[in-house]
Amino acid sequence: KLGHPSELPPEPTPGYEADEEFLRRLHHVLLEVEVLEGSLQCPDSGRRFPISRGVPNLLLTEDEA
Amino acid sequence: GMAEAEAAGDAGLAPAAAQEGAELAAVIGATVPTGFEQTAAEEVREKLGSASRISKDRGKIYFEVPARSLPQVHRLRSVDNLFVVVQEFKDYQFKENKEDALKDLEDLVKKLPWTDPLKVWELNNSLKKKKTKRKKHNLQSSASRGKLSDGGEEGGADQNNTNDQEDCAPNPEAVEPTGGQDTENPQGVTSRNGVEEEEDNEQSDVKVEVQASSESGTKAGDGQTGEGEAKVLRFRVTCNRAGDKHSFTSNEAARDFGGAVQEHFQWKADMTNFDVEVLLNIHNNEVVVGIALTEESLHRRNITHFGPTTLRSTLAYGMLRLCDPQPTDIIVDPMCGTGAIPIEGAAEWPYCYHIAGDNNPQAVKRAANNISSLLRKNESKDSSTALGVPLDVVQWDICNLPLRTGSVDIVVTDMPFGKRIGSKKKNWDLYPACLMEMGRICTPGTGRAVLLTQDKKCFAKALSRVGHIWRRAQTVWVNVGGLHAAVYLLRRTSERAEETRSFW
Repeated sequence: KLGHPSELPPEPTPGYEADEEFLRRLHHVLLEVEVLEGSLQCPDSGRRFPISRGVPNLLLTEDEA
Repeated sequence: GMAEAEAAGDAGLAPAAAQEGAELAAVIGATVPTGFEQTAAEEVREKLGSASRISKDRGKIYFEVPARSLPQVHRLRSVDNLFVVVQEFKDYQFKENKEDALKDLEDLVKKLPWTDPLKVWELNNSLKKKKTKRKKHNLQSSASRGKLSDGGEEGGADQNNTNDQEDCAPNPEAVEPTGGQDTENPQGVTSRNGVEEEEDNEQSDVKVEVQASSESGTKAGDGQTGEGEAKVLRFRVTCNRAGDKHSFTSNEAARDFGGAVQEHFQWKADMTNFDVEVLLNIHNNEVVVGIALTEESLHRRNITHFGPTTLRSTLAYGMLRLCDPQPTDIIVDPMCGTGAIPIEGAAEWPYCYHIAGDNNPQAVKRAANNISSLLRKNESKDSSTALGVPLDVVQWDICNLPLRTGSVDIVVTDMPFGKRIGSKKKNWDLYPACLMEMGRICTPGTGRAVLLTQDKKCFAKALSRVGHIWRRAQTVWVNVGGLHAAVYLLRRTSERAEETRSFW
Protein backbone atom coordinates (compact mmCIF):
# COMPACT_ATOMS: atom_id res chain seq x y z
CA LYS A 1 0.00 0.00 0.00
CA LEU A 2 2.61 2.46 -1.04
CA GLY A 3 0.78 4.10 -3.85
CA HIS A 4 1.91 1.54 -6.37
CA PRO A 5 -0.83 -1.03 -6.10
CA SER A 6 -0.58 -2.12 -9.68
CA GLU A 7 3.14 -2.74 -9.66
CA LEU A 8 3.32 -5.63 -7.29
CA PRO A 9 1.19 -8.76 -7.43
CA PRO A 10 -0.51 -9.79 -4.18
CA GLU A 11 1.62 -12.94 -4.05
CA PRO A 12 4.81 -14.04 -5.75
CA THR A 13 4.06 -15.82 -8.97
CA PRO A 14 5.86 -19.08 -9.68
CA GLY A 15 9.33 -18.57 -11.09
CA TYR A 16 9.64 -15.17 -9.46
CA GLU A 17 13.33 -15.71 -8.81
CA ALA A 18 14.04 -15.28 -12.49
CA ASP A 19 11.70 -12.35 -13.06
CA GLU A 20 14.11 -9.44 -12.89
CA GLU A 21 11.48 -6.75 -13.23
CA PHE A 22 9.56 -8.17 -10.31
CA LEU A 23 12.70 -8.57 -8.24
CA ARG A 24 13.67 -5.01 -8.88
CA ARG A 25 10.31 -3.71 -7.71
CA LEU A 26 10.39 -5.99 -4.70
CA HIS A 27 13.88 -4.82 -3.80
CA HIS A 28 12.73 -1.26 -4.09
CA VAL A 29 9.80 -1.74 -1.78
CA LEU A 30 11.72 -3.80 0.75
CA LEU A 31 15.03 -2.03 0.86
CA GLU A 32 14.75 1.34 -0.77
CA VAL A 33 11.54 2.70 0.61
CA GLU A 34 11.31 3.62 4.21
CA VAL A 35 8.03 4.20 5.94
CA LEU A 36 8.43 7.14 8.23
CA GLU A 37 4.90 7.51 9.50
CA GLY A 38 2.21 4.93 9.13
CA SER A 39 1.34 1.59 10.51
CA LEU A 40 1.74 -2.12 10.14
CA GLN A 41 -1.38 -4.17 10.18
CA CYS A 42 -1.61 -7.73 11.42
CA PRO A 43 -3.21 -9.78 8.62
CA ASP A 44 -5.00 -12.03 11.10
CA SER A 45 -6.24 -9.75 13.85
CA GLY A 46 -6.30 -6.45 12.01
CA ARG A 47 -4.51 -4.85 14.93
CA ARG A 48 -2.47 -1.87 13.81
CA PHE A 49 1.02 -1.14 15.07
CA PRO A 50 2.13 2.45 14.66
CA ILE A 51 5.27 3.54 12.85
CA SER A 52 6.70 6.79 14.06
CA ARG A 53 9.84 8.45 12.61
CA GLY A 54 10.69 5.27 10.82
CA VAL A 55 10.46 3.05 13.86
CA PRO A 56 7.58 0.59 14.25
CA ASN A 57 6.32 0.01 17.76
CA LEU A 58 5.57 -3.67 18.11
CA LEU A 59 5.17 -3.74 21.87
CA LEU A 60 2.16 -5.72 23.00
CA THR A 61 -0.32 -4.47 25.53
CA GLU A 62 -0.70 -6.33 28.81
CA ASP A 63 -3.73 -8.18 27.51
CA GLU A 64 -2.11 -9.24 24.30
CA ALA A 65 1.09 -10.61 25.86
CA GLY B 1 76.54 -0.95 34.44
CA MET B 2 75.43 -4.47 33.99
CA ALA B 3 71.90 -3.61 33.05
CA GLU B 4 73.18 -1.44 30.26
CA ALA B 5 75.11 -4.25 28.72
CA GLU B 6 72.17 -6.53 29.20
CA ALA B 7 69.73 -4.07 27.77
CA ALA B 8 71.94 -3.44 24.79
CA GLY B 9 72.68 -7.10 24.35
CA ASP B 10 69.09 -8.15 24.80
CA ALA B 11 67.72 -9.07 21.43
CA GLY B 12 65.14 -6.36 21.68
CA LEU B 13 62.94 -6.21 18.66
CA ALA B 14 63.25 -3.14 16.55
CA PRO B 15 62.60 -2.68 12.86
CA ALA B 16 65.79 -2.76 10.85
CA ALA B 17 67.01 0.70 10.02
CA ALA B 18 65.86 1.67 6.58
CA GLN B 19 68.62 1.39 4.07
CA GLU B 20 68.97 3.42 0.93
CA GLY B 21 66.00 2.70 -1.27
CA ALA B 22 64.47 0.27 1.24
CA GLU B 23 60.91 0.98 2.18
CA LEU B 24 60.11 2.37 5.60
CA ALA B 25 58.55 -0.34 7.73
CA ALA B 26 56.88 -0.02 11.08
CA VAL B 27 56.27 -2.37 13.93
CA ILE B 28 52.86 -1.36 15.15
CA GLY B 29 51.47 -2.01 18.59
CA ALA B 30 47.71 -2.02 18.92
CA THR B 31 45.56 -2.04 22.02
CA VAL B 32 42.44 -4.12 21.65
CA PRO B 33 39.66 -5.16 24.03
CA THR B 34 41.07 -7.78 26.38
CA GLY B 35 40.05 -11.22 25.27
CA PHE B 36 39.81 -10.26 21.62
CA GLU B 37 43.47 -10.35 20.77
CA GLN B 38 43.01 -13.35 18.50
CA THR B 39 40.11 -11.69 16.70
CA ALA B 40 42.16 -8.58 16.15
CA ALA B 41 45.07 -10.65 14.87
CA GLU B 42 42.73 -12.26 12.34
CA GLU B 43 41.54 -8.89 11.14
CA VAL B 44 45.14 -7.74 10.73
CA ARG B 45 45.96 -10.87 8.75
CA GLU B 46 42.89 -10.43 6.60
CA LYS B 47 43.24 -6.72 5.86
CA LEU B 48 46.97 -6.12 6.01
CA GLY B 49 48.39 -9.53 5.30
CA SER B 50 50.61 -9.39 8.36
CA ALA B 51 50.97 -11.90 11.12
CA SER B 52 50.58 -10.63 14.66
CA ARG B 53 52.21 -11.41 17.92
CA ILE B 54 49.98 -11.41 20.90
CA SER B 55 51.67 -9.93 23.91
CA LYS B 56 51.51 -11.37 27.41
CA ASP B 57 50.49 -7.87 28.38
CA ARG B 58 46.83 -8.47 27.74
CA GLY B 59 45.00 -6.41 25.22
CA LYS B 60 47.97 -5.74 22.96
CA ILE B 61 49.06 -7.19 19.65
CA TYR B 62 52.05 -6.36 17.49
CA PHE B 63 52.51 -6.60 13.75
CA GLU B 64 54.80 -5.23 11.08
CA VAL B 65 53.62 -3.33 8.02
CA PRO B 66 55.12 -1.00 5.45
CA ALA B 67 54.62 2.57 6.62
CA ARG B 68 52.53 3.36 3.56
CA SER B 69 49.86 1.00 4.92
CA LEU B 70 49.13 3.35 7.80
CA PRO B 71 45.75 4.47 6.42
CA GLN B 72 44.59 0.84 6.35
CA VAL B 73 45.94 0.31 9.84
CA HIS B 74 43.76 3.16 11.07
CA ARG B 75 40.73 1.54 9.50
CA LEU B 76 41.07 -1.63 11.56
CA ARG B 77 37.87 -2.09 13.46
CA SER B 78 39.06 -4.20 16.34
CA VAL B 79 41.70 -1.73 17.51
CA ASP B 80 41.30 0.92 20.21
CA ASN B 81 44.67 2.64 20.04
CA LEU B 82 47.81 2.43 17.92
CA PHE B 83 51.47 3.13 18.51
CA VAL B 84 54.70 2.61 16.63
CA VAL B 85 57.26 0.50 18.46
CA VAL B 86 60.64 2.09 19.07
CA GLN B 87 62.03 -0.98 20.76
CA GLU B 88 60.81 -4.02 22.56
CA PHE B 89 62.61 -5.89 25.31
CA LYS B 90 61.31 -9.34 25.98
CA ASP B 91 63.32 -9.90 29.09
CA TYR B 92 64.56 -6.69 30.60
CA GLN B 93 66.47 -7.09 33.82
CA PHE B 94 65.56 -4.40 36.26
CA LYS B 95 67.99 -3.54 39.02
CA GLU B 96 66.61 -4.16 42.45
CA ASN B 97 67.62 -0.79 43.74
CA LYS B 98 65.22 1.94 42.70
CA GLU B 99 67.81 4.56 41.84
CA ASP B 100 69.78 2.12 39.73
CA ALA B 101 66.73 0.83 37.94
CA LEU B 102 65.62 4.35 37.10
CA LYS B 103 69.09 5.36 35.99
CA ASP B 104 69.13 2.44 33.60
CA LEU B 105 65.90 3.64 32.07
CA GLU B 106 67.33 7.12 31.67
CA ASP B 107 70.44 5.75 30.02
CA LEU B 108 68.33 3.70 27.67
CA VAL B 109 66.94 6.74 25.88
CA LYS B 110 70.01 7.68 23.90
CA LYS B 111 70.54 4.09 22.78
CA LEU B 112 67.09 3.58 21.30
CA PRO B 113 66.55 3.56 17.53
CA TRP B 114 64.28 6.60 17.34
CA THR B 115 64.87 7.59 13.72
CA ASP B 116 62.52 5.33 11.83
CA PRO B 117 59.70 5.34 14.38
CA LEU B 118 59.79 9.13 14.34
CA LYS B 119 59.51 9.06 10.57
CA VAL B 120 56.46 6.89 10.95
CA TRP B 121 55.09 9.33 13.51
CA GLU B 122 55.59 12.20 11.06
CA LEU B 123 53.89 10.28 8.28
CA ASN B 124 51.04 9.55 10.64
CA ASN B 125 50.73 13.24 11.44
CA SER B 126 50.29 14.16 7.82
CA LEU B 127 47.50 11.61 7.63
CA LYS B 128 45.85 13.07 10.69
CA LYS B 129 45.96 16.56 9.28
CA LYS B 130 43.67 15.55 6.50
CA LYS B 131 41.15 14.47 9.09
CA THR B 132 41.44 17.35 11.54
CA LYS B 133 39.01 19.54 9.66
CA ARG B 134 36.17 17.53 11.10
CA LYS B 135 37.35 16.78 14.56
CA LYS B 136 38.31 19.72 16.65
CA HIS B 137 37.59 18.20 20.00
CA ASN B 138 40.46 17.56 22.28
CA LEU B 139 39.70 14.26 23.88
CA GLN B 140 40.87 15.45 27.23
CA SER B 141 38.47 18.37 27.50
CA SER B 142 35.49 17.41 29.51
CA ALA B 143 32.26 18.10 27.73
CA SER B 144 29.24 18.53 29.88
CA ARG B 145 27.97 15.28 31.26
CA GLY B 146 24.63 14.49 32.63
CA LYS B 147 23.33 11.21 33.85
CA LEU B 148 20.56 9.72 31.87
CA SER B 149 17.49 9.29 33.94
CA ASP B 150 16.44 5.88 32.96
CA GLY B 151 12.72 5.80 32.52
CA GLY B 152 10.43 2.94 31.83
CA GLU B 153 10.79 -0.44 33.30
CA GLU B 154 14.47 -0.42 33.71
CA GLY B 155 14.42 1.41 37.05
CA GLY B 156 17.69 3.25 37.30
CA ALA B 157 18.03 3.21 41.06
CA ASP B 158 21.30 1.40 41.32
CA GLN B 159 22.92 2.53 38.17
CA ASN B 160 26.60 2.39 38.33
CA ASN B 161 27.61 4.56 35.44
CA THR B 162 31.12 3.32 35.36
CA ASN B 163 32.04 3.00 31.81
CA ASP B 164 35.00 1.70 29.93
CA GLN B 165 35.14 4.95 28.08
CA GLU B 166 36.99 7.92 28.93
CA ASP B 167 35.99 11.31 27.60
CA CYS B 168 35.01 10.55 24.10
CA ALA B 169 33.82 13.65 22.41
CA PRO B 170 30.98 13.12 20.02
CA ASN B 171 31.38 14.02 16.41
CA PRO B 172 30.80 17.76 16.35
CA GLU B 173 28.60 17.46 13.30
CA ALA B 174 26.08 15.41 15.14
CA VAL B 175 23.26 16.58 17.29
CA GLU B 176 24.09 17.09 20.96
CA PRO B 177 24.05 13.80 22.75
CA THR B 178 20.74 13.27 24.38
CA GLY B 179 22.15 11.15 27.14
CA GLY B 180 25.09 11.75 29.35
CA GLN B 181 27.90 9.48 30.00
CA ASP B 182 29.72 9.15 33.21
CA THR B 183 33.40 8.77 32.68
CA GLU B 184 34.28 7.75 36.16
CA ASN B 185 36.95 5.15 36.24
CA PRO B 186 36.45 2.77 39.14
CA GLN B 187 40.10 2.71 40.00
CA GLY B 188 40.24 6.45 40.25
CA VAL B 189 42.96 6.64 37.67
CA THR B 190 42.62 8.43 34.38
CA SER B 191 43.22 6.09 31.57
CA ARG B 192 43.54 6.84 27.93
CA ASN B 193 41.72 4.00 26.37
CA GLY B 194 39.48 1.21 27.43
CA VAL B 195 40.43 0.36 30.95
CA GLU B 196 42.44 -2.77 31.30
CA GLU B 197 42.54 -4.00 34.80
CA GLU B 198 46.19 -4.65 35.27
CA GLU B 199 47.81 -5.21 38.58
CA ASP B 200 48.92 -1.86 39.83
CA ASN B 201 48.41 0.03 36.62
CA GLU B 202 49.34 3.64 37.08
CA GLN B 203 49.69 6.38 34.65
CA SER B 204 52.07 9.20 34.92
CA ASP B 205 50.84 12.69 35.24
CA VAL B 206 54.12 14.13 36.31
CA LYS B 207 55.40 17.15 34.50
CA VAL B 208 59.06 17.35 33.94
CA GLU B 209 58.93 20.83 35.37
CA VAL B 210 62.45 21.39 36.58
CA GLN B 211 64.19 20.73 33.32
CA ALA B 212 61.49 22.35 31.22
CA SER B 213 61.95 25.69 32.84
CA SER B 214 65.64 25.72 32.18
CA GLU B 215 65.03 25.22 28.49
CA SER B 216 62.65 28.14 28.14
CA GLY B 217 61.41 26.63 24.94
CA THR B 218 63.37 28.74 22.55
CA LYS B 219 65.25 25.97 20.88
CA ALA B 220 64.29 25.38 17.32
CA GLY B 221 66.68 22.56 16.82
CA ASP B 222 64.25 19.83 16.09
CA GLY B 223 64.55 18.82 12.50
CA GLN B 224 62.02 16.10 13.19
CA THR B 225 58.90 18.13 12.75
CA GLY B 226 57.25 17.61 9.41
CA GLU B 227 54.90 20.48 9.94
CA GLY B 228 56.88 23.05 8.03
CA GLU B 229 57.33 25.15 11.13
CA ALA B 230 60.60 25.40 12.97
CA LYS B 231 59.05 24.99 16.36
CA VAL B 232 60.11 22.92 19.30
CA LEU B 233 58.19 19.69 19.66
CA ARG B 234 56.21 19.14 22.79
CA PHE B 235 56.06 15.74 24.34
CA ARG B 236 54.86 13.74 27.26
CA VAL B 237 55.72 10.30 28.54
CA THR B 238 52.98 7.91 29.53
CA CYS B 239 54.08 4.95 31.57
CA ASN B 240 51.99 1.87 32.22
CA ARG B 241 53.55 -0.47 34.67
CA ALA B 242 52.34 -3.85 35.81
CA GLY B 243 54.14 -6.38 37.97
CA ASP B 244 55.05 -6.77 41.59
CA LYS B 245 58.81 -6.93 41.39
CA HIS B 246 59.62 -3.41 40.30
CA SER B 247 61.27 -1.07 42.73
CA PHE B 248 59.75 2.05 41.22
CA THR B 249 56.37 3.42 40.30
CA SER B 250 55.16 4.33 36.84
CA ASN B 251 55.22 7.99 37.83
CA GLU B 252 58.88 7.78 38.72
CA ALA B 253 59.72 5.91 35.55
CA ALA B 254 57.84 8.39 33.40
CA ARG B 255 59.49 11.29 35.15
CA ASP B 256 63.04 10.05 34.77
CA PHE B 257 62.58 8.61 31.32
CA GLY B 258 60.96 11.88 30.31
CA GLY B 259 63.87 13.81 31.66
CA ALA B 260 66.25 11.82 29.52
CA VAL B 261 64.01 12.23 26.46
CA GLN B 262 64.01 15.96 26.93
CA GLU B 263 67.77 16.00 27.33
CA HIS B 264 68.25 13.90 24.22
CA PHE B 265 65.87 15.68 21.85
CA GLN B 266 65.66 19.11 23.43
CA TRP B 267 61.89 18.88 23.24
CA LYS B 268 59.56 20.67 25.60
CA ALA B 269 57.54 18.72 28.12
CA ASP B 270 53.83 19.37 28.07
CA MET B 271 51.29 17.04 29.62
CA THR B 272 48.22 18.28 27.86
CA ASN B 273 49.27 19.93 24.64
CA PHE B 274 51.81 17.57 23.21
CA ASP B 275 52.89 16.59 19.72
CA VAL B 276 54.67 13.40 20.63
CA GLU B 277 53.43 10.96 23.20
CA VAL B 278 56.16 8.57 24.20
CA LEU B 279 54.85 5.33 25.66
CA LEU B 280 56.77 3.34 28.20
CA ASN B 281 54.96 0.06 28.77
CA ILE B 282 56.34 -2.20 31.42
CA HIS B 283 54.74 -5.55 32.04
CA ASN B 284 56.89 -7.61 34.40
CA ASN B 285 60.06 -8.05 32.38
CA GLU B 286 58.60 -7.02 29.09
CA VAL B 287 59.38 -3.42 28.21
CA VAL B 288 58.07 -1.68 25.15
CA VAL B 289 58.94 1.86 24.16
CA GLY B 290 56.60 3.35 21.60
CA ILE B 291 55.21 6.53 20.13
CA ALA B 292 51.44 6.96 20.09
CA LEU B 293 49.74 7.20 16.70
CA THR B 294 46.22 7.77 17.93
CA GLU B 295 45.11 10.45 20.30
CA GLU B 296 41.63 9.29 20.89
CA SER B 297 40.21 5.84 21.03
CA LEU B 298 38.85 4.67 17.73
CA HIS B 299 36.07 2.84 19.44
CA ARG B 300 33.55 5.67 19.59
CA ARG B 301 33.52 6.02 15.86
CA ASN B 302 29.96 5.05 15.09
CA ILE B 303 28.06 6.38 18.01
CA THR B 304 27.16 10.02 18.21
CA HIS B 305 24.30 9.70 20.65
CA PHE B 306 25.40 8.08 23.85
CA GLY B 307 23.48 6.19 26.40
CA PRO B 308 24.61 5.22 29.85
CA THR B 309 25.93 1.89 28.75
CA THR B 310 27.00 2.31 25.16
CA LEU B 311 29.26 -0.48 24.10
CA ARG B 312 32.50 0.48 22.43
CA SER B 313 32.63 -0.28 18.72
CA THR B 314 35.78 -2.35 18.96
CA LEU B 315 34.07 -4.70 21.41
CA ALA B 316 30.97 -4.80 19.20
CA TYR B 317 33.17 -5.67 16.25
CA GLY B 318 34.93 -8.43 18.16
CA MET B 319 31.60 -9.93 19.19
CA LEU B 320 30.28 -9.87 15.64
CA ARG B 321 33.42 -11.44 14.23
CA LEU B 322 33.12 -14.23 16.72
CA CYS B 323 29.89 -15.41 15.12
CA ASP B 324 31.40 -15.39 11.63
CA PRO B 325 28.61 -13.64 9.71
CA GLN B 326 28.03 -14.93 6.19
CA PRO B 327 26.52 -12.93 3.34
CA THR B 328 22.69 -12.95 3.53
CA ASP B 329 22.69 -13.79 7.23
CA ILE B 330 19.98 -12.07 9.26
CA ILE B 331 21.54 -10.60 12.37
CA VAL B 332 19.36 -9.39 15.22
CA ASP B 333 20.21 -7.44 18.36
CA PRO B 334 17.04 -7.72 20.45
CA MET B 335 18.30 -5.41 23.25
CA CYS B 336 20.19 -2.94 21.14
CA GLY B 337 20.36 0.10 23.40
CA THR B 338 21.90 2.88 21.33
CA GLY B 339 22.59 0.41 18.55
CA ALA B 340 26.36 0.05 18.82
CA ILE B 341 26.39 -3.57 17.70
CA PRO B 342 24.00 -3.42 14.73
CA ILE B 343 25.60 -0.21 13.49
CA GLU B 344 29.03 -1.77 13.55
CA GLY B 345 27.51 -4.82 11.92
CA ALA B 346 25.90 -2.92 9.06
CA ALA B 347 29.10 -1.01 8.40
CA GLU B 348 31.40 -4.00 8.29
CA TRP B 349 29.07 -6.73 7.06
CA PRO B 350 26.93 -4.95 4.51
CA TYR B 351 25.86 -8.19 2.86
CA CYS B 352 23.96 -9.21 5.95
CA TYR B 353 20.71 -7.74 7.11
CA HIS B 354 20.75 -6.21 10.57
CA ILE B 355 17.77 -5.62 12.82
CA ALA B 356 18.03 -3.62 16.02
CA GLY B 357 15.31 -3.66 18.62
CA ASP B 358 14.72 -2.49 22.15
CA ASN B 359 11.71 -1.93 24.39
CA ASN B 360 12.99 1.37 25.74
CA PRO B 361 11.74 4.34 23.69
CA GLN B 362 14.80 6.46 24.48
CA ALA B 363 17.14 3.72 23.38
CA VAL B 364 15.21 3.23 20.17
CA LYS B 365 15.26 6.94 19.47
CA ARG B 366 18.98 7.13 20.03
CA ALA B 367 19.65 4.12 17.90
CA ALA B 368 17.59 5.66 15.10
CA ASN B 369 19.54 8.91 15.48
CA ASN B 370 22.84 7.11 15.33
CA ILE B 371 21.76 5.43 12.13
CA SER B 372 20.67 8.78 10.69
CA SER B 373 24.10 10.17 11.47
CA LEU B 374 25.60 7.25 9.63
CA LEU B 375 23.35 7.87 6.66
CA ARG B 376 24.29 11.53 6.63
CA LYS B 377 27.94 10.57 6.50
CA ASN B 378 27.17 8.42 3.49
CA GLU B 379 25.39 11.14 1.60
CA SER B 380 27.03 12.19 -1.59
CA LYS B 381 27.14 15.81 -2.58
CA ASP B 382 25.08 15.24 -5.69
CA SER B 383 21.99 13.57 -4.43
CA SER B 384 19.90 14.17 -1.38
CA THR B 385 19.31 10.50 -0.84
CA ALA B 386 21.93 8.56 1.00
CA LEU B 387 23.24 5.17 0.15
CA GLY B 388 21.14 2.84 2.21
CA VAL B 389 22.30 0.87 5.15
CA PRO B 390 21.01 -2.69 5.66
CA LEU B 391 19.73 -1.93 9.11
CA ASP B 392 16.38 -1.23 10.71
CA VAL B 393 15.22 -0.35 14.18
CA VAL B 394 12.09 -1.65 15.86
CA GLN B 395 10.57 -1.13 19.26
CA TRP B 396 9.73 -4.51 20.73
CA ASP B 397 9.64 -6.74 23.77
CA ILE B 398 12.51 -9.23 24.06
CA CYS B 399 10.10 -11.80 25.47
CA ASN B 400 7.61 -11.44 22.62
CA LEU B 401 9.62 -10.87 19.49
CA PRO B 402 7.60 -10.24 16.34
CA LEU B 403 9.85 -12.53 14.36
CA ARG B 404 9.10 -15.90 12.88
CA THR B 405 10.45 -19.03 14.48
CA GLY B 406 13.78 -20.10 13.08
CA SER B 407 14.13 -17.09 10.81
CA VAL B 408 17.23 -15.47 12.30
CA ASP B 409 20.80 -16.62 11.73
CA ILE B 410 22.59 -14.66 14.40
CA VAL B 411 21.52 -13.09 17.67
CA VAL B 412 24.11 -10.76 19.14
CA THR B 413 23.55 -8.55 22.12
CA ASP B 414 24.83 -6.89 25.24
CA MET B 415 22.63 -8.37 27.97
CA PRO B 416 21.54 -6.04 30.75
CA PHE B 417 24.09 -5.91 33.54
CA GLY B 418 22.48 -5.93 36.92
CA LYS B 419 24.72 -3.13 38.10
CA ARG B 420 24.16 -0.67 35.30
CA ILE B 421 20.64 -1.15 34.09
CA GLY B 422 17.90 -3.03 35.88
CA SER B 423 18.75 -5.16 38.82
CA LYS B 424 20.17 -8.53 39.59
CA LYS B 425 16.83 -9.93 40.63
CA LYS B 426 15.29 -8.91 37.33
CA ASN B 427 18.04 -10.67 35.46
CA TRP B 428 17.17 -13.89 37.28
CA ASP B 429 13.79 -13.90 35.56
CA LEU B 430 14.79 -12.12 32.39
CA TYR B 431 17.73 -14.24 31.32
CA PRO B 432 15.93 -17.58 30.91
CA ALA B 433 13.03 -15.88 29.10
CA CYS B 434 15.49 -14.13 26.77
CA LEU B 435 17.38 -17.30 25.99
CA MET B 436 14.16 -19.11 25.20
CA GLU B 437 12.87 -16.42 22.88
CA MET B 438 16.27 -15.99 21.22
CA GLY B 439 16.33 -19.74 20.78
CA ARG B 440 12.93 -19.67 19.14
CA ILE B 441 13.78 -17.08 16.49
CA CYS B 442 17.19 -18.58 15.74
CA THR B 443 17.65 -21.10 12.94
CA PRO B 444 18.14 -24.60 14.34
CA GLY B 445 21.47 -26.20 13.52
CA THR B 446 23.21 -23.26 11.88
CA GLY B 447 22.15 -20.40 14.11
CA ARG B 448 24.39 -18.84 16.71
CA ALA B 449 24.31 -16.24 19.43
CA VAL B 450 27.01 -14.03 20.90
CA LEU B 451 26.00 -12.60 24.24
CA LEU B 452 27.85 -10.22 26.51
CA THR B 453 27.01 -10.22 30.18
CA GLN B 454 28.49 -9.31 33.51
CA ASP B 455 26.04 -11.45 35.41
CA LYS B 456 27.88 -14.69 34.71
CA LYS B 457 26.26 -16.68 37.48
CA CYS B 458 22.78 -15.83 36.38
CA PHE B 459 23.69 -16.53 32.80
CA ALA B 460 25.19 -19.93 33.56
CA LYS B 461 22.08 -20.90 35.47
CA ALA B 462 19.77 -19.71 32.70
CA LEU B 463 21.85 -21.53 30.12
CA SER B 464 21.63 -24.80 32.01
CA ARG B 465 17.86 -24.63 31.67
CA VAL B 466 17.94 -24.25 27.90
CA GLY B 467 20.53 -26.88 27.08
CA HIS B 468 18.16 -28.42 24.57
CA ILE B 469 18.35 -25.36 22.32
CA TRP B 470 21.68 -23.71 23.11
CA ARG B 471 25.17 -25.17 23.44
CA ARG B 472 28.05 -23.08 24.77
CA ALA B 473 30.83 -23.06 22.16
CA GLN B 474 33.27 -20.46 23.44
CA THR B 475 33.75 -17.98 26.27
CA VAL B 476 35.81 -14.79 26.07
CA TRP B 477 36.62 -12.95 29.29
CA VAL B 478 36.44 -9.22 28.82
CA ASN B 479 36.56 -6.02 30.77
CA VAL B 480 33.73 -3.55 30.33
CA GLY B 481 33.83 -0.35 32.30
CA GLY B 482 36.01 -1.92 34.94
CA LEU B 483 33.63 -4.80 35.37
CA HIS B 484 34.64 -8.34 34.58
CA ALA B 485 32.28 -9.59 31.96
CA ALA B 486 32.07 -12.51 29.60
CA VAL B 487 31.14 -12.95 25.99
CA TYR B 488 29.52 -16.29 25.27
CA LEU B 489 29.36 -17.79 21.81
CA LEU B 490 26.41 -20.19 21.70
CA ARG B 491 25.37 -22.53 18.94
CA ARG B 492 21.76 -23.32 18.26
CA THR B 493 21.07 -27.06 18.46
CA SER B 494 19.09 -28.80 15.72
CA GLU B 495 16.11 -29.17 17.94
CA ARG B 496 13.12 -27.19 16.72
CA ALA B 497 11.55 -24.73 19.11
CA GLU B 498 8.07 -25.25 20.45
CA GLU B 499 5.49 -22.91 19.13
CA THR B 500 4.52 -21.24 22.37
CA ARG B 501 3.54 -17.98 20.75
CA SER B 502 0.04 -16.99 21.52
CA PHE B 503 0.04 -13.59 19.87
CA TRP B 504 2.49 -13.46 17.01
